[in-house]
Amino acid sequence: MHDSLIQLMYGFGVALQPDNLMWSVFGVLVGNLIGVLPGMGPLSTISMLLPIVSVIAPVPAILMLAGIFYGSQYGGAIGAILLNLPSHPPHAVTCLDGYPLTRQGKGGTALGITMMASFFAASVGIVVMIFLSPMLVQAANSFGPADICAIMLLGLLAGATMSRGSPLKGVAMTVLGLLCGTIGTDSMNGTARYTLGISELRDGVELGGLTMGLFGIADFLVSVNRTTVSPSGAHVRMRDMRPSRAELRQSFWPMLRGTGVGTLFGALPGTGPTITTFIAYALERKWSKTPGRFGKGALEGVAAPEAASHSKTQVDFIPTMSLGIPGDPVMALILGALIMKGIQPGPQLISDHPDIFWGLVASFWIGNVLLVILNVPLIGVWVRLLRVPYRFLYPSALFFIAVGVFSTRNNLFDVAIVAAFGVIGAVLLMLEFPLSPIVLGFVLGPMLEEKFRQATLLSRGDLSVFLTRPVAAGFVAASGLLVLAQVVAWLRGRRLAAAPA
Amino acid sequence: MNKWTKDHVGGALLLALGVAVAIAGAGYGLGSLRQMGSGFFPTVLGVLLALIGLALLASGRRAPQAAPPEPPAETAHLAGPLVQWRAWGCIVAGVLAFVVLGEHGGLVPASFAAVFVSAMGDRRNTWRSAAALAAGLTALGVVVFHYGLHLLLPLFTW
Repeated sequence: MHDSLIQLMYGFGVALQPDNLMWSVFGVLVGNLIGVLPGMGPLSTISMLLPIVSVIAPVPAILMLAGIFYGSQYGGAIGAILLNLPSHPPHAVTCLDGYPLTRQGKGGTALGITMMASFFAASVGIVVMIFLSPMLVQAANSFGPADICAIMLLGLLAGATMSRGSPLKGVAMTVLGLLCGTIGTDSMNGTARYTLGISELRDGVELGGLTMGLFGIADFLVSVNRTTVSPSGAHVRMRDMRPSRAELRQSFWPMLRGTGVGTLFGALPGTGPTITTFIAYALERKWSKTPGRFGKGALEGVAAPEAASHSKTQVDFIPTMSLGIPGDPVMALILGALIMKGIQPGPQLISDHPDIFWGLVASFWIGNVLLVILNVPLIGVWVRLLRVPYRFLYPSALFFIAVGVFSTRNNLFDVAIVAAFGVIGAVLLMLEFPLSPIVLGFVLGPMLEEKFRQATLLSRGDLSVFLTRPVAAGFVAASGLLVLAQVVAWLRGRRLAAAPA
Repeated sequence: MNKWTKDHVGGALLLALGVAVAIAGAGYGLGSLRQMGSGFFPTVLGVLLALIGLALLASGRRAPQAAPPEPPAETAHLAGPLVQWRAWGCIVAGVLAFVVLGEHGGLVPASFAAVFVSAMGDRRNTWRSAAALAAGLTALGVVVFHYGLHLLLPLFTW
């Protein structure tokens, strides 16, 4: 424990270096902005900024990407509370009570409570991360390839089935992502796979190209000539944001409970942030003595889900940094960026690159403080930016995507990949397939295949290795339970549907 | 009205893709469990994808009435408001214009074409507003990417 504190001080030293601080602030600001803007999520923003990642040092790159991630959460809450824009699914539930509060003229209070809850929850998440990560790393040192495979299996399944929409479609998209990861030269024996005779594909599909196609171009294709956002201006002054003592007391326990929910779900791999916030909200409503107030401007309904989303965000970093197994698509992208910088994720990351890990931890706190301070004056600026018409926004974004993807490898072919995945993504979106499991599969695919081949090689082709090693067996069992639960839920839903309404 | 729901179309697509992937994968050499070939992992995934496709086809329910009109079977029939051919064509052409002109024209023509062509996909953009936007962004791009970040793409080549 003492050790962790020393390391943390070291981390602050790293995070406060001017260069690192600058990129961290940049990430937080960009994240905050896109959190308010509808249609732009952390996924598309991070992929759009991957070209910057390729030119700056690893530490500032990771700090920036992380800043985008949690910055967008604050932004999402602002959009939900002040403008009733559920632009980011995890914050959709915040609209339910946040916007009524704004209409009652208490938007400032709601924002104040949100920021307090967010900061508190993020701090708890960070502390959990500081103490849990080294423990996990120690355990991970005894993990064999079979264990890692089983953990990845659970993560992939959870990511596929616990997001929105049909679980079956989620699994299908995960498999599709895994397959996209196999495109290119097989690292074990040099066979070119699924290159369709195109020599550029021998190096595989570029992560930036895939994500920019799926989350950039595909989105333009689906929303062009459709989106009409005209938010009303909302004015919030610093003074309005200070909650009264009664309001503080009212939201204290919801904040704690929300943090608990977020921490718990963050530790489970693959559970999406949306489901976390919805559970926190539902729990609060059940707990409340006056559930009737929910939906009409209950502060508890704002504090709990926002706290949950922030603690989950922080705890999500634990498996990503200590095992190299991302819990959700954004984490997968951050991991992809690490790999791009030549850093091998896994249990050795914390000891090999303490500057990255501890710098990241410290920058969370710095970033969260910055967000609390900056949010207020910036809200007005973001609201004005929302008025840029979509017909100018998307061609500009498309241009930055094209230049950005080109610059990662100085390869125009990657830009063509963007167009291809744009069309694929748009068709999939129209068929109501979720796109984010594709990224999770794509990043984990090569790792999963390698570990799987190693595992069976070590066991001489005996698949029972996945059931005899305790860790592997545990995760395989959990995966089995998850599938079973989905099947049961499906059967029950079917019976309900069959019954006359 | 339509016998094909979104789930049916999706299922059929997955089934076809899965079968194709599995057949191609088998061609890369399956190997054995002890010493897996390059084709093992993708073939398993292809089979899995095909099975999910079958399951979707089998369970494909009708979309709720409130939902927007369902897309018919093949992309070729996806006419009407669902796919906007002009917008799609313009946006995809815009990206591809950047690729082609980047190779044979340089950063300036590629940027202008990418923005101009894609902007024409929005019905509310006139050729005038699209050209203005394209010119502005090209200028910005030249300053930021060429002079600022030293992008490895010459301003003009031919």
